[in-house]
Amino acid sequence: MDDLTLALWSLPVLLLLIFLRVPIGLAMLSVGLVGSALIFGDMMPLLQQIKTLAYGQFSIHSLTIIPLFMLMGQLAAIGGISQALFRAAEAFMGHRKGGLAMASIGACAGFGSICGSSLATAATMGQVALPELRRAGYAGGFATGALAAGGTLGILIPPSVILVIYAILTEQNIATMFAAAFVPGIFAALSYMFVINMVARFKPHLVGTVERASWSERWHASLAVWPVIVIFVTVVGGIYTGLFTPTEGAAVGAIATGILAYARGGLTRKSFNTTINATAAGTGMIFMIVLGAAAYNNFLALSGLPQELAMWVGDQGYTAFGVLAAILLFYIVFGCVMDSLSMILLTIPIFYPMVIGLDFGLSPEQVGVWFGILVLIVVEMGLITPPVGMNLFVIQSMAPDIPIKQTYLGVLPFVLMDLVRVLVLVAFPAITLFVTYF
Amino acid sequence: MELSIYNFYRRMAMVGIVLLVGIALISVISITGRALIGIGLKPVPGDFELVEIGSALAVFCFLPWTHLSRSHAVVDIMWTALPQRIKPALIALTDLLMLLVWMLLIWRMGVATLDYYENGETSFILLLPVWYGYALAMCAGVVGLFAYLWKALESFGLVAIPPEHDVDPVGGH
Repeated sequence: MDDLTLALWSLPVLLLLIFLRVPIGLAMLSVGLVGSALIFGDMMPLLQQIKTLAYGQFSIHSLTIIPLFMLMGQLAAIGGISQALFRAAEAFMGHRKGGLAMASIGACAGFGSICGSSLATAATMGQVALPELRRAGYAGGFATGALAAGGTLGILIPPSVILVIYAILTEQNIATMFAAAFVPGIFAALSYMFVINMVARFKPHLVGTVERASWSERWHASLAVWPVIVIFVTVVGGIYTGLFTPTEGAAVGAIATGILAYARGGLTRKSFNTTINATAAGTGMIFMIVLGAAAYNNFLALSGLPQELAMWVGDQGYTAFGVLAAILLFYIVFGCVMDSLSMILLTIPIFYPMVIGLDFGLSPEQVGVWFGILVLIVVEMGLITPPVGMNLFVIQSMAPDIPIKQTYLGVLPFVLMDLVRVLVLVAFPAITLFVTYF
Repeated sequence: MELSIYNFYRRMAMVGIVLLVGIALISVISITGRALIGIGLKPVPGDFELVEIGSALAVFCFLPWTHLSRSHAVVDIMWTALPQRIKPALIALTDLLMLLVWMLLIWRMGVATLDYYENGETSFILLLPVWYGYALAMCAGVVGLFAYLWKALESFGLVAIPPEHDVDPVGGH
């Protein structure tokens, strides 16, 4: 069997292991190591490679950003920031048609601006907003659907763990990626609010009502949010202007959020334990996948499959947009069953050279940034598409009385909106790229 | 006994968090020093190198807890369709594979430590010998080994799982 055939056969084997519930990172690591051994035909070069594999991956400076952002997100979750954001958004939007659901989306966007994880955003905002939505008379499935969708703003709005991984894999500038994600992130939040408005208009029985807040209430609610704005502007602004590196920015964010959580009395013994568990287990999970993907991608690179595939696609004479559409569709379909981070780590080394070689009328640097944002959005869709949407499960677990079918139904309009948004961003790359011109 | 093993590795994860906070503090001090260079302060020398060692060590402190608490990312979609009889065997084989992979990694890391010790390679700014980082990470790895062994014993049914930790694997981010 030649190297290319071997690499092609490794994919079904990898999927089989993953479907047998072998942890994704372990599956990639094992298949990668065995594959490399078969190509080398000798254990020595492989054993040589494994010597520095784990330590080499875990000590990559820019990857340190991930545990720091995880810690920051967890500290934000216990600092009462989610309540403050929700109150402020509610004071301004609550009285409108579907206003409380829109306020939840707004609060998710605010939380996403200091949290780089979708699940943490969904879990934190869900705890705050779900009881309020149900008390106000919102239909269960619509409320859970809206919150699951809102949770995805955690990774769409920078900082974002997935974007960091993409930037490292493709050697993009993390600051540029964050800047490029900003407008599409705001766009996402507004488009979700639009969906809610439409639902409220055409299915008024699904939404409830709350009273209009007075201006003094609005003022007080807004005041409670300023630390969030300060932290976001410092971290993302500091990274973007080059005042500090992304890793340093994450460090500043984690310390500042920790101080904020402490000042608000959120740092109790119990909440601190939860933070430690979630940060440790979450970081371990991500780095296991990073390690596995490194081994698997070493194997793929050794086999020459990514280059061959990119050349083959180039020779077929497919249109650039046709290939892009196929790739995005692939992510949407696989996102229904696969974890988003594993998907990125596994496929970007294959797809990126393919896409970079195509002619979209943009420079290769621009394609790199634009493609990253598009991929971010389609893998994020995987978090809210049935049957395996992690955000749906997280929200669902908070309201076991709502049948999961209703949540699936409730999230559907948001998924459709995601599709529309992807089409718009594909058609108009400038929406993503114009900030990178500054 | 069973529970104290879990508590031990939870503490080990806590050490990782302390390292993480340490990394964050070094970075913040470094930024402050760089910003106030005009009044005679300066950034922490070799902050990059310290962050890298600290980060690697923290991850090695987290991984055993991630495995022990069944927090690794898995795909559940086919699991319910599998016959009930083979599930315990699959879990046991998976945990055995995890144990073997971990042993392979720390064995090679030990060899790397000796190699770097012999060739005397040092870091760029602080001139820290590279083997320091490897040796520390390998120590954490060896301590972690018992967690992998324990989990495998659990899934082979040789030791009991504390009820509060008897969870189905979940994972995502």
